[in-house]
Amino acid sequence: MIARAALFVQRELAGSLRARWFLAYSAVFLAGGLLLAVFGMGDTTIYGYRGFAKAFTGLVHLALLFVPLLALFPAAASIAEDRESGALEYMLAQPVTFGEVYTGKLGGVSVAILLSLTVGFGVAGAVAVLRGVPPGLVVMLYGYVVLLALVFVALGLCFSTITNSRARAMTLGILVWLVLVAFGTLGIMVAFVRWGFPEQVLVWWSLLNPVEAFRMGVVAALDADLSLLGPVGAKIVERFGAGGTMALAAASLATWVVVPGVTGWWLFRKRG
Amino acid sequence: MIRASGLGKRYGEHVILNGLDLVVERGERVALLGLNGAGKTTLMRCLLGLLPFDGKLEIAGLDVRANGREARGRLGYVPQRAPHFDGTLAEVVDFFTRLREVAPAAVEHRLAALGLSLDEHGEKPVRALSGGMLQKVLLALALGAEVPLLLLDEPTANLDHQARREFLRALKEVNGETTILLASHRFADVEAVADRILVLHGGRIAFDGQVRELRERVEDAVTLWLKVPPSLREQAQMQLEADARLSTVRANGAALGVRADHAARADVLVALRDAGIPVDDFWTETPTLNQLLEGVLGLEPEDQS
Repeated sequence: MIARAALFVQRELAGSLRARWFLAYSAVFLAGGLLLAVFGMGDTTIYGYRGFAKAFTGLVHLALLFVPLLALFPAAASIAEDRESGALEYMLAQPVTFGEVYTGKLGGVSVAILLSLTVGFGVAGAVAVLRGVPPGLVVMLYGYVVLLALVFVALGLCFSTITNSRARAMTLGILVWLVLVAFGTLGIMVAFVRWGFPEQVLVWWSLLNPVEAFRMGVVAALDADLSLLGPVGAKIVERFGAGGTMALAAASLATWVVVPGVTGWWLFRKRG
Repeated sequence: MIRASGLGKRYGEHVILNGLDLVVERGERVALLGLNGAGKTTLMRCLLGLLPFDGKLEIAGLDVRANGREARGRLGYVPQRAPHFDGTLAEVVDFFTRLREVAPAAVEHRLAALGLSLDEHGEKPVRALSGGMLQKVLLALALGAEVPLLLLDEPTANLDHQARREFLRALKEVNGETTILLASHRFADVEAVADRILVLHGGRIAFDGQVRELRERVEDAVTLWLKVPPSLREQAQMQLEADARLSTVRANGAALGVRADHAARADVLVALRDAGIPVDDFWTETPTLNQLLEGVLGLEPEDQS
């Protein structure tokens, strides 16, 4: 089983690494991270750790913009494109199981994304460590970025199983990403100011939205400062503590990896 | 090799396979025929384990539902349209030979026999290859695996004449122990490959016979068209209708059509000449496979839908 799934991992990996837009996205992420690490941390010598936190928040927002799209495109294309071209039917007509094909595709896209992120984040992280940032913190931030990427790989693959065309799967993925972003900070502000949603609802709203959970977790890890966290984030940190917020954010992201991942597998099996 | 019992498949209210029973023995060459939408491809997909189905289905004694992977390991599949895989031809061949645990040399040998060299085409992107070349690649992959069953779902439908000839020639050379199930819309392909014919209709096997039986029906269904002067058309029609050996007399513009077996065709021309009716022109019309199937199934042409 593992050997066959590994073949699909290799195939997906090769396909992703061949795609020009994937290489372009990776290069932009690498360049952005590098620029932030080199120039954004200039004030760490003056303001110390707090200056670094602000600079790294820039990287977080860059990640929020790039990582979901970097993950969504190859994942959404993965199954839908093969179904569209007839390759999926031919592959499933071989001595393989649906599970092997699905896990192979999930694994292949994930490895490709992680390679790209590791290069991009690794260079920025190395510069940050050289400038005195604790390596443990860089690794933790990398972990959050990886989780965010895997969330959108799982979502993309799930959408890929329910549509017959690559374009439709990608459109669906981008729509969901936009909704998650819109229902993040902006949505919370509207709900808080205009509709007066109770605090409890807004807290769980933030934690259940993967985009917002990622932001909370990273900011809590860097500096639980109100200016970076926002009012709801500050309330969450006040309630659960920085460590608790980080753990809840990681758990939320992990749930967003597992639920769409398993749903996608179930739909893939069901649709054939 | 294939055993289906009570095989059923429906999409909502639309029944495609309705308790189909089927036995295909090892080494048999079977053509699967049917009008459009009869369920040929659905049956193939059930055999491949790609669709959930009711009833029981076995390949080489393996339950397709419970042991799908093992069952698929016993068969090679060539679809109607070769997929446009990502990557070069060499990468695709490498991927599938590794997936099937087949020696690459076996596939290369088959490719060479089909006139395709990996040395020459290996680095070409699969998307740049013609449909005929791709179908040959899929056939080579299936044959290289030396499986006991080949499932061919209208594999020549999109090939040009030359590619179809080469494809069929390769199939004819397949080891006699190999079972072939060929879905097709071309009688020439059926005759080239199969001995036995199954006609699907109404979700079941409506006809199970030998290819020669269908060939005889083809011969019987050939229409001889005769063009006579318009002033003598009625007289010619009466003359033809009086001949007991002719089964149907139809008029189509200036032409009269009769169904006559081989022996009677020349006599028709002689009889008309003897009656003083000149034949300005004549030609024969062979029925299409669909028309023939309608005949086998006892359907009026209008019943196609």
